[in-house]
Amino acid sequence: MQRFAEKIRVAAIFAPGCQVRPVWFEWRSKKHAITEASYFWKDHYGDASRLHFAVSDGSNMFELMFDTSDQNWTLEGVE
Amino acid sequence: MESERIILHIDMNAFFASVEQQSNPELRGKPIAVIGAAKRTIITTCSYEARAFGVKTGMNSWQARQACPDLIFVVGNNRKYTYTSTQIIMIMREYTPLVEVFSIDEAFLDVTGCLSLFGSAERISHLIKARIKEQFGLTCSVGIAPNKLLAKLASDMQKPDGLTIIAKDKIAQILERVPIQDLCGIGAKMHQQLSKFGIKTCGELGRFPVEVLKRNFGITGERLHYMGLGIDDSPVVPDEDAEEVKSVGHSTTLDKDITERGDILRYLLQLSEMVGRRAGRYKVAGRTITLTVRYADFTTFSRQQSGSCHTNNSEDIYKAAVQILQGIELTQPIRLLGVKISSLSSHTEQLPLFPAELKKALIAGAMDDVNNRFGDFAVTFGSLLGRDNGSKVISPAWRPEGVRNVDVE
Repeated sequence: MQRFAEKIRVAAIFAPGCQVRPVWFEWRSKKHAITEASYFWKDHYGDASRLHFAVSDGSNMFELMFDTSDQNWTLEGVE
Repeated sequence: MESERIILHIDMNAFFASVEQQSNPELRGKPIAVIGAAKRTIITTCSYEARAFGVKTGMNSWQARQACPDLIFVVGNNRKYTYTSTQIIMIMREYTPLVEVFSIDEAFLDVTGCLSLFGSAERISHLIKARIKEQFGLTCSVGIAPNKLLAKLASDMQKPDGLTIIAKDKIAQILERVPIQDLCGIGAKMHQQLSKFGIKTCGELGRFPVEVLKRNFGITGERLHYMGLGIDDSPVVPDEDAEEVKSVGHSTTLDKDITERGDILRYLLQLSEMVGRRAGRYKVAGRTITLTVRYADFTTFSRQQSGSCHTNNSEDIYKAAVQILQGIELTQPIRLLGVKISSLSSHTEQLPLFPAELKKALIAGAMDDVNNRFGDFAVTFGSLLGRDNGSKVISPAWRPEGVRNVDVE
């Protein structure tokens, strides 16, 4: 997986039970609709809770991260 | 005499590799090997598809590629694994409070007292397997038996996705032909020693005169005798009842062998900072500092020194480690360095009397505050800036909570 650390625009559904589901994201001027979310994990960096999502747009795998402390989404990797 | 117990051993199948195959559907059904991010890495684990080609944990990437030319290498993500493991342990704890985490991908559960709530041990196993499968897409092998030794043996009998029961009345029959090295606790060296007595199976071990075993192996001899008979009284010990940790340490295999004193000192500072941070977080301090060195030819040795008072201050730990290093005549390039504090006490903070000591304590406290908020090494010593700091490997002693919960990169 090629590693990145680019802040991106993401549309996500925040459902009851603290569940977050990214629906689409924009990266390098292209909109990617998420067709499959294959894995989720959480970690901490200092005080910040970070939610990680392994997702696919049907052609590529992406790793997205939501930082709960500053509400930013980051694209972390592309396969 | 053993009381009637029902123990489960749950072993996640090819854990790290399976997590990666779930994360990336393209990897499913393919031979993959999980490796570390470090330059000198070995295979941490591999998928069952890779195992079919003879790829094994511990191989270097060249050996693995020889065995399986189509092998796909995936750099592991330790935080993904520790999160998944912690969640799986939480699932287990919904069925019994008696969960002993054996490693990141294995646990023992004593379900003796929970059967009236959930039915049989088999049903509990199916429920846990289904929950893990549903939540993470992962499979595990479960062994059910009257004790930990046999439960672990049972879980190894069907992989992947197995469920094996060793009933009390079948123990002797099952153990009769089981090779001794299949028992947890009999490693390569013990296997070799027992082979000299002509002992190859558990049945033979159980029948072998216990006096001879005791004479040759001391106290372990009696334990070996009982292992051969499938007897194990050891309880399932949940983390909160486990013995207090005796030491806090970190070690690192270096990217390349080093000889320069400046390089060695930088690694010692990094390790001392990691030890000090973790000890401080869990409010323990140590009086004995140990330095471990492994040479390029894998010769490994440790030297230690004890101070008059307990500390978890990174700078104090570092100074002690440097002092130990000064007493060692290094004869080869160094492959691995380790720093550890032991003779631990629960740290009760005492304000230092002298201005210099007070200043040091305040600086350390301020650094901790910043690092707690912004992450480890956000503020650190100048000589560690720009380095890839932090723990890269999940230790076998990793646990989901407490001082053994080592934060990994």
